[in-house]
Amino acid sequence: MNPHAKLIFSVSLLLGTTITISSNHWVMAWTGLELNTLAIIPLIAKSHHPRAIEAAIKYFLVQAAASTLILFSSTTNAWVTGQWDITQLTHQTSSLLLTTAIAMKLGLTPFHFWFPEVLQGSSLMTALLLSTMMKFPPLTILFMTSHTLNPTLLTIMAIASTAVGGWMGLNQTQTRKILAFSSISHLGWMTIIIIYSPKLTLLTFYLYILMTSSVFLALNTIKALNLPTLMTTWTKTPMLNTTLLLALLSLAGLPPLTGFLPKWLIIQELTKQEMATATTIIAMLSLLGLFFYLRLAYYSTITLPPNSTNHMKQWHVNSPTNTLTAILTSLSTLLLPLSPMILTII
Amino acid sequence: MTYFMFFLGVCFVLGGLAVASNPSPYYGVIGLVLGSVVGCGWLLSLGASFVSLVLFMVYLGGMLVVFVYSVSLAADPFPGAWGDWRVVGYGGGFLLVLVVGVTVGGPLECWELGAVTVDSGGVFSVRLDFSGVAMFYSYGVGMFLVAGWGLLLTLFVVLELVRGLSRGAIRAV
Repeated sequence: MNPHAKLIFSVSLLLGTTITISSNHWVMAWTGLELNTLAIIPLIAKSHHPRAIEAAIKYFLVQAAASTLILFSSTTNAWVTGQWDITQLTHQTSSLLLTTAIAMKLGLTPFHFWFPEVLQGSSLMTALLLSTMMKFPPLTILFMTSHTLNPTLLTIMAIASTAVGGWMGLNQTQTRKILAFSSISHLGWMTIIIIYSPKLTLLTFYLYILMTSSVFLALNTIKALNLPTLMTTWTKTPMLNTTLLLALLSLAGLPPLTGFLPKWLIIQELTKQEMATATTIIAMLSLLGLFFYLRLAYYSTITLPPNSTNHMKQWHVNSPTNTLTAILTSLSTLLLPLSPMILTII
Repeated sequence: MTYFMFFLGVCFVLGGLAVASNPSPYYGVIGLVLGSVVGCGWLLSLGASFVSLVLFMVYLGGMLVVFVYSVSLAADPFPGAWGDWRVVGYGGGFLLVLVVGVTVGGPLECWELGAVTVDSGGVFSVRLDFSGVAMFYSYGVGMFLVAGWGLLLTLFVVLELVRGLSRGAIRAV
């Protein structure tokens, strides 16, 4: 892409995110979300093949509809209460419309259908942007309005998201779609706790960004877009495949890796709030995700593919070593012993 | 006068219906024209003459004219027309949604209605629509700059999406 255009789109992504997360007026929040939507459309459609264009159009339609719902919700609230403050969304219909809008923006069930297809149509780096940075402004809005939203609706959407993310991810062979369903599942965990402890939502989100960034960057280094490719890369980057195994198991939430921390704290908080049934259901539904994470981890390290000899590592590789991947993978597997300090920071 | 305003409101909804149930954009733009003309009429009835004329000039005279020029360059040789069964389907669906929304929302009293005109500003010596636009240059200058950046960004996004002629896969020619 033209470097000037790429600069304008990158700056607009940062500008839009900053405007939304630092806003206290609904119009500024909406403006930031629209800037983000506009700026990422060419990045999704960068490769200009029909699947990418279709993904860009689907993304645009869904996000524009969600932004319209945000505008409707804020103007109705302003009509009834006379103020535009984000934290004072007191009108019932407005908060219901807003919950729907944020669910569409994030990809919560039942508005998740666009997310795997958009991720599949974009490159791995753009998919990483879509999974991490583009989730930040809507989650911030959800964080700021969490005390006025309907708890039952949020819990139902959260449990349904975890279920859909787990079950739909089981039949996938494309790594980007698997990571899309993993994202939907993690959003379910983030949403179930936002009423009781919004700080745990943010903690889950930050740790999810760490873990999914390390997985996406590792997959980008070995260019593994589907499971067969993943199976044959152990000869080229054996160390990276091993750390990819650990990062995937961290995403699955296994102790003693970092991914266990948010699930542990959420289960503890939900149990304190007398929500034992919901806790059990969401923990069981995460086991479905564990299956496809295990499958990915197995394919990246252990299986010998049928079309290679039993050779050891190739003597000459051209995969570049990446410091960022190393740092993120270390953080995403080794942060659990620091959990008391993390609890004091959030 | 009330009945005339009500008629304008009905035309606004019908314009929106025409846009939503269009068989192809060349015919859907008629709904946009109808909706924006009637919207200007509504703004005039509330007393916001300046904003109404700005809407007329910028929307009809700017956006729609540019739309017409660009589709005349990249026109579909055989577009669908109004006499298609799809139009009946879309139109029926949206009317159903509208009727259900009004009948369910009425008894539930979700919406509280009232009309405020542009002169009810209290101690303002300038009318509200003029002073609102003037605020863009004083207190609202941050929003002004962000909106300007957004428009510039839209230009770059559109240029990036349609470059490459028909290899860009958004254009047909």
